[in-house]
Amino acid sequence: MATGSKPLKVTIVEDDASFRGSFVAAVEAAEDMLLHAAAENVAQAMALLGGPPSDILVVDLGLPDGSGIEVIRAAHSAWPDCGIMVSTTFADDRHVIPSIEAGAAGYLLKDSSQSRMADDIRTLHSGGSPISPRIARKILLRFRPVEAPAQPLLSPREQQALELITKGFSYDEIAELMGVTRNTVMTFVRRIYQKLEVSSKAEAIFEARSHGLL
Amino acid sequence: MAFYKLLARYLAALGIIIAGAVVLHLVAQPRGLHITSAELAVESTVGYQSPPATLIRRAMPDDWTAVALPNAAIPQLALSQHADAEAPDTQVTWYRAVLPQPVSPADKGYLYIPRWKSDGTLAVYVNGELQYQSHANLQWNGSNRPLRIGFDVTEGAPPINAIVIRLQHLRGIGGALSSLWVGDFDQVGPAYMVRNLFQAELSYLTSAAFLASGVFSLLVWFRRRQERLYLLFFLMSAATFIRGLHNHLGLERLPFSDAWFGWLTVNSTMWMVAISHLFLITVLHVRASWITAVVGGATLVLGLATLPLFSAALDPTLTAPFAYAAAFVVCNLVGISSIRAAWRAQSMEGLVLAVWVLLTAYLGINDLMLQNNLISIEGYFILPFVQIALVFAFFHLVLAHYLGAIDAVENSNTLLAERLTAREAALLASHERLREIEQRELLLQERQRLTEDMHDGLGSSLIGALRMVERGRLDETELKQILQGCIDDLKLTIDSMEPVETDLLLLLGTLRFRLEPRLESTGIKLNWNVRDVPPVFWLDHRYALHILRVLQEAFTNIIKHADATEATVSTGVVAGDIVISVSDNGKGFDTAAPRAGRGLANQARRASAIRARLTVESGSEGTTLTLLLPIRQLAEDGVAG
Repeated sequence: MATGSKPLKVTIVEDDASFRGSFVAAVEAAEDMLLHAAAENVAQAMALLGGPPSDILVVDLGLPDGSGIEVIRAAHSAWPDCGIMVSTTFADDRHVIPSIEAGAAGYLLKDSSQSRMADDIRTLHSGGSPISPRIARKILLRFRPVEAPAQPLLSPREQQALELITKGFSYDEIAELMGVTRNTVMTFVRRIYQKLEVSSKAEAIFEARSHGLL
Repeated sequence: MAFYKLLARYLAALGIIIAGAVVLHLVAQPRGLHITSAELAVESTVGYQSPPATLIRRAMPDDWTAVALPNAAIPQLALSQHADAEAPDTQVTWYRAVLPQPVSPADKGYLYIPRWKSDGTLAVYVNGELQYQSHANLQWNGSNRPLRIGFDVTEGAPPINAIVIRLQHLRGIGGALSSLWVGDFDQVGPAYMVRNLFQAELSYLTSAAFLASGVFSLLVWFRRRQERLYLLFFLMSAATFIRGLHNHLGLERLPFSDAWFGWLTVNSTMWMVAISHLFLITVLHVRASWITAVVGGATLVLGLATLPLFSAALDPTLTAPFAYAAAFVVCNLVGISSIRAAWRAQSMEGLVLAVWVLLTAYLGINDLMLQNNLISIEGYFILPFVQIALVFAFFHLVLAHYLGAIDAVENSNTLLAERLTAREAALLASHERLREIEQRELLLQERQRLTEDMHDGLGSSLIGALRMVERGRLDETELKQILQGCIDDLKLTIDSMEPVETDLLLLLGTLRFRLEPRLESTGIKLNWNVRDVPPVFWLDHRYALHILRVLQEAFTNIIKHADATEATVSTGVVAGDIVISVSDNGKGFDTAAPRAGRGLANQARRASAIRARLTVESGSEGTTLTLLLPIRQLAEDGVAG
């Protein structure tokens, strides 16, 4: 995946020194990556966002002075071109979906091997997003027409991809089943994540309107 | 006490009405020329003759005696009747009054006669010329109505100086005349109206109003047959109305015979007593006794004996005094027995009514005496007024009964609503309790499930790792494998806590998602051959975790021991079962070996816990694990762990 061009600038926000250490090691082991910065808490992360943008930002949610969600949201507007990942032990939808709604494009499993972590980062940078069957299921439920009448709907292809994901099929298998390339499937997922973010924003506006705040 | 307050109010109202009547009566006293003496002459006749148009001295009786007015003969009580009903023994009673000074008819135009009695005919002569004659039945001829006769005023009419009144009536009974008044309209008009009101109109109006409410009561009874009180109230109103007829009817000829009219009006007295009795025993909840029998018997006998169907039946005019006497006795019986019953029942309303019934009997004596000319005939009959009060007493009782019924309905509605609210609250509380219990039960089950799972899986794996480190056999790869297995265990445990909503493929997909990295790292290719399966409605947390663990074990075996290059997961439906199979192309293993046996036993235990069937086939071509899950499970089957 190494492109030979400029190395990926990677930033991590993580309070656990052990994981931070192994992540930094993984980045340094990859030739095509460069550690841009590392922060231990929300305050440090916010300070970083004032500076030059990173290509990839990996954020832990349980930070000592606040939630990583704030960092994701701030990074999404400060570094619009940065690929944001939430680092998580279980990739459970309770952590991942709010992160995506805040602007993250994927997640990084903390127990992954160093090479797997590097692969996941590259995949994200090249436009692919990871997804679990359970997250796919949650998103399908979220986009049911009755639940969100005034929001962007999933296209039939996106819907089909999500349904296959819930049944445990891999990107490669889905690509084959749908007659598209693996890349296309991965961009489906990225688009779905963007729709999720937009829909959550629309929902927030709708909520605010209905409460007379706007 | 409410009753005394009410009684006081009734008595006060009664007092005001009586006072008003007395005042009205006093205000409306007649004025003008008051004639209180006359000359009387009597002729015996047979049958009824028309009065002469003009009085001729020669045709008049000779022996006149001076009498004071009012004048009345004491009737002879006789139960005998003239054999010839067409030509009974009659007599003509003449009254001749000469005015102290002549009056001009244009000036004083009216003759007012407060009361006249004649079971026959009346004719009034002015200056010897017939001025007025009755046009009614012979016996029921409206003699209870006062008379106000306007003198004919003609041009050059001479002043009036003498008034002669001719009464022809049955010999021995009837025949009486009050004092006379001559005056202008202002002098005698109001007196006439007031007396007419009290003697006739009032009785008519009240009994008609009473009858109207009686009809309403009857309509109520039609819908509520078990409430005898409403029927009795109607009967009472009807009897009172009939009884009242003889107070105001009779100015005109009746459309039915004297005999029937007499039968009705005389017997109705007895009926009223009998109905009062039934009404009282109903109100007081007293059972019918010999008194009822006596009352009923007397009513029946009197009614039949006086029935004018047979020529032998007695003329009601003749029998009326006897009928009234019988009514008096029965009324006493009813009154006294009812007073006792009311006293026992502690019913003040009943007591008042009973006392009033008894009082009626004694006040009736006045009327009987008046009827028989034993007291001044210018007095009033009292019973019509007593009956009005009686009507109100009945009315009050029925109204109380009616309102009581409405109150009871309202109360029962309120009570029902209260009971319903209480029930609802109780139901809500029990529902809440049930939910709490359910919640507790669920928590307990979940705790039990996780504890057991940790004990079997995570716990024993970690202890194994600990032992290894303790013994110094620190094989880094093996330790890493154990810890990776622990993390996988933990991930599956967490996954099993999420709802899968009957979706078995989602469960398998999740399993793949968790195990894929390890398979990939070992270079085993996974074929994902799943087909859609029907929803599994019994799939809950416990079932899900058991399925995950059975399959996880299968994968662990493939990764650790099978030396396989490919693994395949497939699903399908066979004869009511969902089939999940995991196979590999590895070297296989001896299913009887102790190490493999323990893992298999564990899988079999979990499979049986969810009523699934597990088969493992292993050979040199590889191993295939098959899990058969029934699509439907009976809810009551339950799950052991």
